[in-house]
Amino acid sequence: MLRSDQIMETVEMVQKENLDVRTVTMGINLLDCRRGNATETCERVEEKIAKTAENFVFKCNEVADKIGIPVINKRISVTPAAYVGAGFTSEDFVDLAISLDDAAENVGVDILGGFTAHVEKGMTETDRALIAALPEALAKTTRLCASINVGSSQKGINMDAVALMGQTVKKLAVQTADQGGFGAARFVVFCNQPGDNPFMAGAIHGVEEADVVLNVGVSGPGVIARSLERVIVGSKPGNLKLDDIAEEIKQITFRVTRCGELIGRMVSQELNVDFGVVDLSLAPTPKIGDSVGEILQLLGVDDVGAPGSTAIVAMLNDAVKKGGIFASKTVGGLSGAFIPVMEDAVLADAVGKGALTIEKLEAMTCVCSVGLDMVPIPGDVDAATIAAIIADEMAIGMVNNKTTAARLIPVPGKKAGDHVSFGGLFGESPIMEVRNVNKSGRFIAWGGRIPAPIHSFKN
Amino acid sequence: MTRQFVISVMSKDRPGIIADISGAIYDLGGDLADLNQSVLGGYFTMILIAEFEENITPEDIVASFSHIRSETRPEVTVKEMEAALEIEKENLPGETYILTVRAENRKGLVKTVGDFLYNRNINVLDLATTRENNQYTMIFQIDLSLVTNMKKLRNDAHLLEKTGDLELLLQHNDVFKATHEIKTPFNPHFS
Repeated sequence: MLRSDQIMETVEMVQKENLDVRTVTMGINLLDCRRGNATETCERVEEKIAKTAENFVFKCNEVADKIGIPVINKRISVTPAAYVGAGFTSEDFVDLAISLDDAAENVGVDILGGFTAHVEKGMTETDRALIAALPEALAKTTRLCASINVGSSQKGINMDAVALMGQTVKKLAVQTADQGGFGAARFVVFCNQPGDNPFMAGAIHGVEEADVVLNVGVSGPGVIARSLERVIVGSKPGNLKLDDIAEEIKQITFRVTRCGELIGRMVSQELNVDFGVVDLSLAPTPKIGDSVGEILQLLGVDDVGAPGSTAIVAMLNDAVKKGGIFASKTVGGLSGAFIPVMEDAVLADAVGKGALTIEKLEAMTCVCSVGLDMVPIPGDVDAATIAAIIADEMAIGMVNNKTTAARLIPVPGKKAGDHVSFGGLFGESPIMEVRNVNKSGRFIAWGGRIPAPIHSFKN
Repeated sequence: MTRQFVISVMSKDRPGIIADISGAIYDLGGDLADLNQSVLGGYFTMILIAEFEENITPEDIVASFSHIRSETRPEVTVKEMEAALEIEKENLPGETYILTVRAENRKGLVKTVGDFLYNRNINVLDLATTRENNQYTMIFQIDLSLVTNMKKLRNDAHLLEKTGDLELLLQHNDVFKATHEIKTPFNPHFS
């Protein structure tokens, strides 16, 4: 039998430290659903999702019950819709969005991702139709998530698409103004979007994947925070150094990852589908005690955003990867620490105090996944400024060969310092100030592409 | 021909006691097989299996152990094994779970959980308990092979938690293997 102290460590992780499996996401290939017209294609899409994911939620719950570790979210990602609906009009894409939303509801998942186009080098007519459909598609659905990949380290950044993104984000917020612009919270712009990320809003089932694959996203900020508290309290003053702390994070991440892998592989086996990856991201929730920001405070900055925050995130991100990569057979997705403002109570608090600014947040995204995530900004920020913020974030991803993303929410009718709440896992926060608005229009107006960086030429 | 004995020893703990016990077995020409030992509250307890020549009797073994120096005289029990010793270790059943229960210390806690398990046809494979600062912690390793309805068991456990004023968690043994062993429990090639 295992030692009692080892058993109690794991028990504490579940009972008191918020250890759970954040999401099990089933990726489904929809390329074979294409039929002669949009109506038939939508029918086939609904049929395939219904058949493939028929037992998905039930089996996830059964395995969670059996193992004794909760699985918080059960989700679906699908082949980017632009490939499935090649040749569709915008109206066709709205129909497809509704079909995907209905399909998600029918099988009992709360979110489905993959209303997506990849336009990093150029946009097809189909891509433009999908992008044009986005505001209506997200306003008419509740479970659908959308993403557009506008840049990559290999191809550069498509600035025509970035300009469109600025306008689209504005339209999404306006179209869902009665919900505080919530439509924009279900839309994310990417550079280097991975095809096996289980986290929303950016999950897709990449075209390189098998027909059906399960990917798992683990959690763990609470577990790491409590463990660090114990180490800090239990050590003699002056004895504990940052490398000791990094080692502790690695060891905890190993255990957290193992739990995710165990659940994922058991569900895969039960459903007889391929197991894809464990995504090692530290994903916070608005719940008190489940915050990445709290870890930063424990490690020595009084407020997130104070000098030193970027260095701490860099260390945290690296330790999480090192601990997780040995624990799992296959890792992928985003794999790093998330800093989504609205979904992390400590980050939101730092915004309220004026400690965390959008510029500092951007600096922190240079060293972690995944970018400017769930950032509420004033509703009157112009589209070109939003596009320019997106361009900055994409440039970080492109040059550093990493995934970056922007999920900005221009909350209609609200100004900096006002409060917005979406409830549940989407959380709440004061609105972040955006400085230097209306100063980037000439840059965005150029259009064209920012060429790929020199280090992309490796062939 | 050889004879196999199960031997249990309890005595006040001290450095060198294992050397003395194994020495007593060696002096009788015995061959040690499986052994388990533990120290609790300053007392040493050991259960072991050993193989001896046919002419060695349980009385010989007790006599040999009586020479072991200890603050309290070692208490030794010897039973001859009827079936031949199976050298290969049994694997844990596939439905092995860990049930951890914590509560403010009071009489009858182990009995409460023991009755709960017995009434549901659940065998306890291993049990460790500790009392610290008036909190009592029990760790049961249990076999749920005969449990057909997991949901009902969890509901019953939840009810016990409420009525018995206990803090209870039931998790599959694989969770602990996954979090504390390098070898992965989900890889069929290594199981």
